[in-house]
Amino acid sequence: MSVPTQFAAYLHHVTFTYEGALSPALRQVDLAIRRGEMVLIMGASHAGKSTLVKLLNRTIPSFQGGTLTGEIWLLGQRCEQHTVADFAGRIGLVAQDFEAQLFSTSVDCEVAFALEQFAVPPAEMRERVHAALQAVGLEGFERRDPATLSGGEKQRLAIAAMLALGPELLVLDEPTTDLDPLGKEEVLAVLARLRKEGRTLVVVEHEALAAEMADRIVFLAEGRVVGDMAARDALRDPEWFRRCAVRPPDLALLAYRAGWSEVPASPELAAAKVEERLARTALGSLHARRGQPRTSRDQILLAADELWFQYDEGGPFVLADVSLEIRAGEFVALLGHNGSGKTTLAKCFNGLLRPLRGQVRLKGTPILGISSVDRAASVGYVFQNPDHQIFAARVWDEVAFGPRNLGLSEEVMHERVREALAAVSLLERADDDPFWLTKGERQRLAVASLLALRPEVLILDEPTTGLDYNEQRQVMELVCRLHRQGMTVIMITHTAWLVAEYAERVVLLHQGRVLFDGATLELFGREDLMSAARFRLPEIVRLGQRCGVPVRSVEEFMAVFAAAPEDKR
Amino acid sequence: MGELIGMWRNTRMVVFTALTASLYAAILIPFKVLPIIPGVTELRPANAIPVVCSFLFGPAAAWGAAIGNVIGDFFGGFGPGDLFGFWGNFLYGFLPYRTWELLTERSPVLRRPTEWLLFAAVVGLASGACALVIGWGLNLLGFVPFRVLGNIVWINNMLASLLLAPFLLAVVYPRAERGRLTYRHVLRGRQVRTGAAAYLGLTMVGCAVVVGMWLGNGLSSGSMTLPWVPEGTVGGTNALAVGWGLVPVLAVVLVGLFLL
Amino acid sequence: MKLSLYIHADTPLHRLHPLVKVVGVFCFFVAAFTAERPLQSLALGGLIAALWWLSSAMANAWRFRWLLTMVFFMTFLVWSLFFQSREPWLSWGPIHLGEDGVSFAFATACRLTAFFAAGLLFLSTTRVEEFADALRMMGVPAKLGFAMTLAFRLVPVFVDAALSVVQAQRCRGFDFDRGNWFQRVRHYLPVIVPVFIGALRRADLMAMALEARGFQRQGQRTSFRTYGLSGLDFAALLVSLTLMIVWLCWARLTD
Repeated sequence: MSVPTQFAAYLHHVTFTYEGALSPALRQVDLAIRRGEMVLIMGASHAGKSTLVKLLNRTIPSFQGGTLTGEIWLLGQRCEQHTVADFAGRIGLVAQDFEAQLFSTSVDCEVAFALEQFAVPPAEMRERVHAALQAVGLEGFERRDPATLSGGEKQRLAIAAMLALGPELLVLDEPTTDLDPLGKEEVLAVLARLRKEGRTLVVVEHEALAAEMADRIVFLAEGRVVGDMAARDALRDPEWFRRCAVRPPDLALLAYRAGWSEVPASPELAAAKVEERLARTALGSLHARRGQPRTSRDQILLAADELWFQYDEGGPFVLADVSLEIRAGEFVALLGHNGSGKTTLAKCFNGLLRPLRGQVRLKGTPILGISSVDRAASVGYVFQNPDHQIFAARVWDEVAFGPRNLGLSEEVMHERVREALAAVSLLERADDDPFWLTKGERQRLAVASLLALRPEVLILDEPTTGLDYNEQRQVMELVCRLHRQGMTVIMITHTAWLVAEYAERVVLLHQGRVLFDGATLELFGREDLMSAARFRLPEIVRLGQRCGVPVRSVEEFMAVFAAAPEDKR
Repeated sequence: MGELIGMWRNTRMVVFTALTASLYAAILIPFKVLPIIPGVTELRPANAIPVVCSFLFGPAAAWGAAIGNVIGDFFGGFGPGDLFGFWGNFLYGFLPYRTWELLTERSPVLRRPTEWLLFAAVVGLASGACALVIGWGLNLLGFVPFRVLGNIVWINNMLASLLLAPFLLAVVYPRAERGRLTYRHVLRGRQVRTGAAAYLGLTMVGCAVVVGMWLGNGLSSGSMTLPWVPEGTVGGTNALAVGWGLVPVLAVVLVGLFLL
Repeated sequence: MKLSLYIHADTPLHRLHPLVKVVGVFCFFVAAFTAERPLQSLALGGLIAALWWLSSAMANAWRFRWLLTMVFFMTFLVWSLFFQSREPWLSWGPIHLGEDGVSFAFATACRLTAFFAAGLLFLSTTRVEEFADALRMMGVPAKLGFAMTLAFRLVPVFVDAALSVVQAQRCRGFDFDRGNWFQRVRHYLPVIVPVFIGALRRADLMAMALEARGFQRQGQRTSFRTYGLSGLDFAALLVSLTLMIVWLCWARLTD
């Protein structure tokens, strides 16, 4: 029998209800974090992950009030009246929203901030700032203003600010959720390094990659711990991930479906395993070519002719000679990493930005020659962050805002709002206050508010950022349904699996130029382009390529796999 | 008045201060402003922010408005006048919530005409106090005459607040309330004066602002002389006339504030 | 988006102790107050231009050329009209236009422009943290200084948000320029609300993050930025004070 004092954190039968809430956010939670261990916490949105994490540094109950029962031991101490300040420095907490965790106007001052509070002598402070920045790979950034950093850099800075204090336990609450793939990779690399140093880490994460480096995974659902197991075991049963709204790692899912006892560590090893069983030729013959973009003579809806764009006179060209045609009924993914010009291009498509040279035409008419109201009614643009547009006090009014701007009659407006809300399954929430909707619901509300304008094209700017896997699926199913009903969809994204599973045609932008425009699977075969754009293929696609089967998802691979004859050699 | 100092012990209030200041400064920047008298002054929608924040964040809005004004000037226009801008905006952020809670128990989500009237009076008083301090200070420095700046600040603040603040409050206040993000929740168990002294203070500030605006206009145009204003200061910029003339009025405001 | 006026450079002005800079600016303000003759205005302008050039801050001077011009002309106009002239050329209602008024207006316009120019120079060479440190050394409470730096850091976050909101609402057919000015003020609502709500959503998280870094810790604090007084600082202090005294004597003598 172990003693609670041996653990970095020890929770026994903890139940917590927020002040004013009707039901508990956590119920009867038992959790023990050993020193030197990396524990991953996974669960759907609102499963209680953030609440659990806040218990680990006394934010709850000392800062956010509520009713708490059960026993909590932190760093060997039984907690009764302790406040955040009592553990500040010894327990570090890094949150998802990096903007809310940076308080200074230069990187070095940011890291030094906490050290100043602890009265560390200036000479030592400089050493510790340097070491912390080195640990997250931000050396050389000392004098930069955090406002000029990328999301991944900001999040690493927030981690450095905590590391400088030398915490015995470091807790990270969804550190990669709001980041692009590059930023995610950067932060995960930092986690891997901290793990190697033997630090005690508790990480809330949706990213399956993190599962592969953790010791243990705790699954939460509706405030309860529903699973607490070694990461290896969890990977063997991907149903755990699915239940907790995490996208399971491709290879783990494949191994599970194929009935393998071990999860292969890389697509290369998996390919060897596949070839063990199946004749390569047999697989090749099943070469399923699907998902070709339409080559039909559908009407050209949007056309960009030799667009050039720069934000500042004399600055770099964000778009350089971009020409593109979008046909009615297409589903196009705009791909490229940050700064490649994809958002700029999309904003030129609906006339928000005026190109320096060249023009965008909507069904042949120059877009800038169309009134802004008509533009809005033809090209719908859903911004990345739904909170950048939601302002009404009722869901209904939010959706009605657009039609009102078009000057539609009360009756027509009514019908359109109903229809749009029904399309995103929010009709029964029409009278609710959007402020209290979940992020996934707010994203759908944003889509609805543009659908009510009945546009011919819908442009979505990274519609799945910050959502859990279930919510991502819901949004994508909505988009697909609209597409099936005839909507032309342009989706900006850098999520690999979304592109693989949903897009027919991909336009890859790199430094303001179109690097590739064609079928998704064709692009995936071009390793040179993929590495230039720093785009990492989903593991299953890489496995497919190894085996000579172009597939987009584990389901497709399994279909091919099941149909292939066994190797009779 | 005491909670203006005590609030600094509360982390949330410090954050509220910074939020007020940055929103105030940030809303100013991306908007074209609407000219009232082209070239001389414009209607700045951002001036509704301190009032809204006052009802949400209480004392933090006072400091926030003061700092926000300085930060706004950090992006162009920083000078000795900022000292007066600081304290003028401090009053502009402080008076609305304090006056309102002394006069009524209601939430600042306006529904009835009487509530609108009360709101207009409260905002008028806060705008006037702000205008008095800034107008006085900048005329004393010889920068801008009181009858130009004092009146502009007063009208500008009042219009922006009346046209925007009630509508903003209607959307924002109930959410802050439910999210327990108002000063009433954050400063649980706050102790403020509610007795006769507070009402006396309010009356003093109110009367001083009305009298001050009237005197300021008169003195700055040179059409008025006061017994305590030394002779020979009238004429020219009237800087000293305004400077001396308003001192007793400002003293009353100060005493009134201590009683609040 | 670059909002901050600070220019990254390593010039003598950048290296000065922030408190010395504050004293220097103060001396300049005092001098500018007493400048009434065109020659004196010219001297002030020359001094500022030289310092601007010395601190490689000319880019900011260029960036704010319109502001400085506007300040000059507006001040000139306002004081020409509202200066209570003793021998007016023309009197109409509250306006008394006269020679003394116009010459005063000119001097004040120069003075105010000089103030602005000096303020710009100060901000071009001083980081916000340094300014906050200077305020703290002058006795301003540390937390007030902190709130200022934090607000300063948040401004670009909210400006970006506001710009994005403006575009998002345009995409829904919202026309900001429609209607009379009364209605146009109301048009700011769909912009201000999302920005405000975003700030509100963050408030609690920010306070939590601050506490997790020991913000409420009792007792002593240290400062990452240490400032030593170098020879340069003493020289700058001496020069500023001497210049101010010489200037005041000059202003007296020419009276």
